[in-house]
Amino acid sequence: MSEKSVAYRAARKARAARELGAWLVMLPGLVLFIFFLWEPLLEAIRLSLYEAKGMTLVRFVGLQNYVEVMRGPDFWPSVINTFKYLFWSLIIGFLLPIAMAIGIHESSWGKGIYRTSFYLPNIVPGLATVFLWRFLYRSDASGGLNMLLSAFGIAPQNWLNSAVTVIPMIVISMTWKGAGSTALLYLAGLQGISPELYEAAIIDGANVRQRIWNITLPQLYNLMRTLLILQVISVFQVLYEPLVMTNGGPNNASISMMQLVYRYAFDKFDYSKASAVSVIVAIALIALTLVYNKVNKEKDM
Amino acid sequence: MSKNRAPRQGAVRNYDLRKRGVKIGYALMTLFCIAMALIALMPVIWVILSGFKELKEFNRGIKAADNHYYMHFFPQSFSLEGYLDTWNQMKYTRYYINSFIVVIGSVVCAVVFNGLMAYGLSRLRPRGWKVVYALIMATLMLPATTSVVPLFINITKIGLSGSFVPLWLIMGANAFYVVLFKNFYDAMPNSLLEAARLDGCNNWQLYFRIVLPLSMPINMVIVIYAVNAAWSDFLLPYLLLNNTKLETVMVRMFTYRTSDRVNNMDIIRAIVFAIIPPILLFVAFQRQITENVVSAGIKG
Repeated sequence: MSEKSVAYRAARKARAARELGAWLVMLPGLVLFIFFLWEPLLEAIRLSLYEAKGMTLVRFVGLQNYVEVMRGPDFWPSVINTFKYLFWSLIIGFLLPIAMAIGIHESSWGKGIYRTSFYLPNIVPGLATVFLWRFLYRSDASGGLNMLLSAFGIAPQNWLNSAVTVIPMIVISMTWKGAGSTALLYLAGLQGISPELYEAAIIDGANVRQRIWNITLPQLYNLMRTLLILQVISVFQVLYEPLVMTNGGPNNASISMMQLVYRYAFDKFDYSKASAVSVIVAIALIALTLVYNKVNKEKDM
Repeated sequence: MSKNRAPRQGAVRNYDLRKRGVKIGYALMTLFCIAMALIALMPVIWVILSGFKELKEFNRGIKAADNHYYMHFFPQSFSLEGYLDTWNQMKYTRYYINSFIVVIGSVVCAVVFNGLMAYGLSRLRPRGWKVVYALIMATLMLPATTSVVPLFINITKIGLSGSFVPLWLIMGANAFYVVLFKNFYDAMPNSLLEAARLDGCNNWQLYFRIVLPLSMPINMVIVIYAVNAAWSDFLLPYLLLNNTKLETVMVRMFTYRTSDRVNNMDIIRAIVFAIIPPILLFVAFQRQITENVVSAGIKG
């Protein structure tokens, strides 16, 4: 055997050992990702295609679970509601953080106070937020908002009891929690805008409105696109707010798709149908993400 | 903020404020900011103050001289008795201890396992690492709630329901944390790692002795995220721990959703118990949270 091939083999061996060592480092993480994320995702698809008794699969039924789920009385209301959540969250919650960020950035006083107080709701745990807002929206005089109204002599309102306003009301509570942290993301974006851009515009004689319209907002455009899709993805999964605040009511007016998953899984213990609905949600989210990526690519070219 | 005004870097400059239109707009903007700050703060202040009230006072208000009942924003007395009663009756000491155990284990798992994974993807890069990275990036977009049912079934099948272990370990598989760690490690200078490797450090020593201690800024960010996530999480904890005496603060709270045995004051105070630790954390690390955590999020 020639010297060269011995050296070559030794090098190959060393390389193989290095590869193995690297995989060993990633092994614990890989095991956790497989067990907690990837396998359950695939399992959800499988489960949705089977008839199950409790946790054991009985037989393969194809798409029957999907058909039955879609024929259920709650499915289409939950789909329509999910889009209503989306619509209202964009109306109420999309522009607000941008305005808040510009407000902090342009203020010469109180930046730290604004930043801290805007962010505070974000650290309140989600479940506590939902319970807190359930109390704020209580229909008798003890509700927080009705207390506020009574200070102006207005009679107590039944905040969550109208099918028309229940979703916007829930979206307000979601916006309360989320707007501040989004505003800080926009603020970071604003701080990245070079002051020279503004100076150049000032020299060109642009007034304040033109500066905001032609410099500030276009510079935030990429961030807006990213945060828009993130908002859509998170609102699509709305669950705890209707679950705790209204239990989907009044009369299914606020039930969401993820809440339907919850009902099938943990009220009716029908894990197959629960998985069918969650696969539908996941497919919708993947579709949204793909559309977003495509739009993004076209814009970048 | 400091008393000295920071130089204006934004769209509005000092000399603009001499114009009347800009002045009015600026005043409106300030009003808007103050209003938003009040809206953000008031619900939290309201619930803390309400927790001091007695049940009757909360439900009906206080009888005034004209024999009508009036609601008051401030409680009649600031005695802590009500809070202490609820704490003891509902056995909150136990739930706090349970929650702290969950949080500590989760934080350790979040830093070590995601960190090791990112270290492999960023520095060691064995053949096929790109596949793993692509899978992780794909999970970033998918909602975790999709798979909660099979996950719950899996955990039950291996006999780990009714235990803290799955709640710790699941924090070790977080795609977002891996991306944050990887971005940080990617920017780390190679020379240090090479020197340590020449000194005979193996992969593990390199990670635990060099990489981990040198990554304090990103470790802090992940710790803050993980503390909040572990403290606030309740769906999986509820499924695994309900009725086991291992319930966390949030699991307990979730059961109030339907329970008839608790009154309004108990729930109000439970809300306060649930938000006090995160608020203390926020007060202590306010600057890091509103600056570093946000900028980490934007890069990730």
